[in-house]
Amino acid sequence: MIKLISAIIVFMFLVTSCKKDDVTPPATQYLQVDVIPTYTNGGAMKMNLDSVYTTPEGHQVKFTDVKFYTSTLKNESINLLQSSLFDYRETGGIMLRTSGDYTKFANLQGFIGVDSVLNHSDPSAFPNESPLNISNAGPMHWGWNPGYIFMNIEGKVDTIPDGINNLDHSFSFHIGTDLYRRDFSFTNLNWLKISDSERKLNLKLDLWKFLHNPISSIDLKSEFLTHTASGQQPLTEKVISNFQQSLQPY
Amino acid sequence: MKYALYIFILLGVFLACRKDKVGYKATPYILDIPSHFPDMIIPSDNPMTAEGVELGRFLFYEKKLSGDNSMNCATCHMPQNSFSDPNQYSTGIDGIQGNRQSMALINMGWENFFFWDGGKTTLEKQILEPVINPIEMHESWKNAVKKLDQDMAYRNMFFRAFGEGGIDSTKAAKAIAQFIRTLISGQSKFDVMYKYENSMPLTAAEQSIFQTIDVEEWAGYDIFKSLDGADCFHCHNGPLMRVKKFSNNGLLPNAFNDLGRAHVTNNPEDNYKFKVPTLRNIALTAPYMHDGRFANLDEVIEHYSSGIHMSSTIDPLIEFGSQGGVQLDAQEKYLLKKFLLTLTDNNFVNNPKFKDPH
Ligand code: HEC
Ligand code: HEC
Repeated sequence: MIKLISAIIVFMFLVTSCKKDDVTPPATQYLQVDVIPTYTNGGAMKMNLDSVYTTPEGHQVKFTDVKFYTSTLKNESINLLQSSLFDYRETGGIMLRTSGDYTKFANLQGFIGVDSVLNHSDPSAFPNESPLNISNAGPMHWGWNPGYIFMNIEGKVDTIPDGINNLDHSFSFHIGTDLYRRDFSFTNLNWLKISDSERKLNLKLDLWKFLHNPISSIDLKSEFLTHTASGQQPLTEKVISNFQQSLQPY
Repeated sequence: MKYALYIFILLGVFLACRKDKVGYKATPYILDIPSHFPDMIIPSDNPMTAEGVELGRFLFYEKKLSGDNSMNCATCHMPQNSFSDPNQYSTGIDGIQGNRQSMALINMGWENFFFWDGGKTTLEKQILEPVINPIEMHESWKNAVKKLDQDMAYRNMFFRAFGEGGIDSTKAAKAIAQFIRTLISGQSKFDVMYKYENSMPLTAAEQSIFQTIDVEEWAGYDIFKSLDGADCFHCHNGPLMRVKKFSNNGLLPNAFNDLGRAHVTNNPEDNYKFKVPTLRNIALTAPYMHDGRFANLDEVIEHYSSGIHMSSTIDPLIEFGSQGGVQLDAQEKYLLKKFLLTLTDNNFVNNPKFKDPH
């Protein structure tokens, strides 16, 4: 009898053993970083793609694309994320979303651009969900040795004083190559509570400051194009350093 | 009593890990993806199977899918033209012409939107369309399915592909989608150039192709991607030779005033934007653009060189638009075309697995 009972117990145990557990796992904490591009002197108003703004010189200007990579995001020895791709048109204001504990990231360091080892790896070999995978990078990878475009700002401007505001001039700034990778280091960050399991950090991308930086302003009339090619160093340098100064915690 | 114990235990083991009951189990199909390509994301409700792909191939070339049994997908997507149509506009079974050029079906498994305006977002959905389109195959799926159902061979093929009896349009679309996902092109000279430039190892076969790439082809590639050359790479780039976007590349609006992407989004900012097509096998897919307005590559090159039409939605990456184009000289045009010809993949066009099985 005892044998039979123990057999039944073993039987019951085995039958249930391959069932899934329905224990609730500990709630994951999510961290999201948003970037809010602005274009007003002082930088209080959000910039929308395709909307027309006016430069201090009185030209009409509109932005059609704002994208950039960050990589090796960490606080000293604590890693947050390998890379992120901000694409204003595709994903709106979200720069990254990942699991993590905000108390560990009161400070945040990383690169604007892609770490040089990652920058020269096979862009098809990253995991499918990685922003560095060529499927997600798309036009942000050059397709040959320079690797990724770290920062891409495109738009149109009316620099011809013909009285017609038809925004008939394009500008495009494509900065890449290891030499132009820049770093950032933000301190005393204010992670806003969205819910018990979610915190958010807002960064500001001040495009007014980017174009009209008081000591190194970009004159769209003559400085409208760089692909980081040889011969374009002065503008390339100016664009990436202005960009670096324009990205700050909100 | 002793035996009861063992029987119980055996029964327990058996019941515990038992799989669900299935009918015919189709054979998983392993795609042959070139090493320098990203993964292809296969929808979880339509896994690739050998039987599914084979059925899809039969259906792709099946004229019963059209109203008068005269037309199949290949009528407008011909294998020798890299699955596009040499006619400017394709003509449907009722003799009515569409107003868009047929698109080459290459590496479709990596696309996220279909048609020149991106109006469909999955291959499975896209495929339902040409059959019922009155200016294409003009047949109801109900009728098409009835015709297939009368054919014992199809009843068997559907059973093997889906593990259950019954034919319907969803299954037909799934099978055709599976076949189309196998139409992978990644063995052109350009692929070897791409791998070389990205420091990826070349196989022995690729090494020997590498030896055949001449200085003019390399020079053409330089022009293709350089800012003071043709400046093409912003939109036609990467292993798939296209970027995922809709763009206005400076064509004059045509007689139909086709608004392209704006048809789908109703956003005037999208006026005259069209899906950026791949340049793979481009030498085989004339005529060119959404309305087939250019008969050959020379006309395309002339467009980008001096024929750009400015408008408020033109892509800023047509960077020399305000001066009419990139202004290539005769030698540069010649070299650029030499490069475009390196994108031809003869293994793809001649692949017996892609041909008509009927
Ligand atoms: C009468 C000619 C014709 C027939 C028949 C036809 N197509 Fe097409 N196909 C076209 C045209 C034209 C387009 C572009 C349509 C547009 O943009 O509005 C197209 C586009 C496509 C695309 C989108 C490609 C891309 O890059 O976005 C796919 C996929 C496709 N067809 C598959 C099929 C399949 C599968 C069949 C058979 C069931 C088929 N076609 C039958 C003419 C045809
Ligand atoms: C700003 C993005 C952009 C740039 C730069 C660009 N193209 Fe295109 N290309 C497109 C778009 C969009 C289309 C489809 C346009 C349409 O049909 O309305 C296209 C179509 C083509 C086609 C026809 C493909 C087909 O299947 O019909 C060819 C060939 C082509 N481009 C070659 C080139 C060459 C060569 C260059 C450089 C001189 C170049 N492109 C630069 C966006 C671009």
